[in-house]
Amino acid sequence: MGTLAGTLTLPTFGSKVASKTRVDYQNTPEGALVQRAQAGEEAAFREIVERYQSKVFSIIHGIVRQRNDVEDIAQQVFAKVYLSIRSFDFRSSLITWIYKITVNECFDYLRKRKVRKLVYESDLSEDEVRRVENSDPAVDRQIPADSSLAQRDYVLKLLMRVSEEERMLLMLKEVEGFSVEELAEKTGMNENTIKVKLFRARQKLVKAAQRLDRTPGLVPG
Amino acid sequence: MHAVVMDSLEEYLSGALNPAAQREIEAHLTSCDACSEEIHSMQEVSPLFLSLRPDETAVPALGFYARVADRVNERKAVPSVANVFGLGFAFGRRLIFASLLTLAVLGSYLVVRESGYAAGPSPEAVMAQQESPAFDSAPAQDNMLVTLTAYEH
Repeated sequence: MGTLAGTLTLPTFGSKVASKTRVDYQNTPEGALVQRAQAGEEAAFREIVERYQSKVFSIIHGIVRQRNDVEDIAQQVFAKVYLSIRSFDFRSSLITWIYKITVNECFDYLRKRKVRKLVYESDLSEDEVRRVENSDPAVDRQIPADSSLAQRDYVLKLLMRVSEEERMLLMLKEVEGFSVEELAEKTGMNENTIKVKLFRARQKLVKAAQRLDRTPGLVPG
Repeated sequence: MHAVVMDSLEEYLSGALNPAAQREIEAHLTSCDACSEEIHSMQEVSPLFLSLRPDETAVPALGFYARVADRVNERKAVPSVANVFGLGFAFGRRLIFASLLTLAVLGSYLVVRESGYAAGPSPEAVMAQQESPAFDSAPAQDNMLVTLTAYEH
C-alpha cells in the first residue's frame, strides 16, 4: 500500500466533473451580515454568534468531549471570529470559515492538553507517574474502556498528522457528510482540487495509521 | 492508484456511487492488487470519523454572547508587539518594505565599490613588485634619505 501510489502519475480528474460557477457569497443575505460585522456593527456580530453558536458547540463537543471545556473553546472561537472578521474574503461560506477556526481551536486545545500532561509528568518521579496512571486510567496513554472513545482518540491522533486544510476537508466530508460538490460550493474550490486534496489527505492518514499501529500501546478501535 | 478508482474515490468510499460506476470500480479492484490494497486501507480509516459526530446536541448556557463579548474585550486589552510601539499593520508592512529597499541599495553600492577595487592590481602582482630587485633600488633609498634629511633641518 502506498508504494505504487507514489510511482503512478496522478490522473487529471475532470472527465466526469463539470465545473460550476462559484457562489458569490458577498451578494447573499449572509454576505450583507458579514459586511455589517466587518464595518464594526455589534448587532451583526451578535447575530452571527447566535446563528452559529449551536453548530460550534456541537463540533467542539464531537472532538473534545470535555463538557467543561466546550464553552471555553467556543468563546475563544467567536473571539477569533470577531477579531479577524475583516480578513474574511467571501471565498468560502461564513460557516465554512467558522468551521475551520473551530476545528483548529479544538486541535490547539488537544495539543496544549497533551503538552501540559507531559510537563506535569516530567516533574514527577517514576513511582509518582505510575501511581497517577493507575489512579486515572481513562487518560490518553491507556486504551479507553469504551471502544468509541478509543476510536475517537485514534482518529484524533491521525488527524494531528495532516495539515489544517486537509483536516478541515476530511472533517467536512466524513463527519458532516458533505459531498464533493457541496464541499466545492462551501470552500470556493474546484471539485477536482477537492478530490486531489482529499486523496492526498487520505494517503497521509493511512501512512499515519500504519506508523501508529507499529507503536506499542496504541490500538485502533 | 489508477484513474478509474481515483475519479470516483469519494463517492465509492461514501457508498454514493451509481451501480454502473460501482461495478466498473469493483471489476478493476479484482484485477489490481495495488488499488485494492490502498482502497482497503482507506476504507478501514473512514468509519473511524463517525466517533467525532456529537452524540447529543450541545446547547450553550444562557448569557453566552455576554461571555464572548467579555473574552473579546480581554483580547483587545492585551497589547500586541506592534501596538506597544504604536505601529499599525499597514505601517509595519511599509516599514519592512522601506528597510528591505535600503538594504538592497546599500548592498548594491558595496558591490559596485568592491568591483572598483578589483580593477586595481591583483595581490599577487603587488607582492611580485615588492619582491623585485627594482623595489629596493637606489632611487627609492635616495628618496628615503632626502626625506630624513628634511626632518633633521
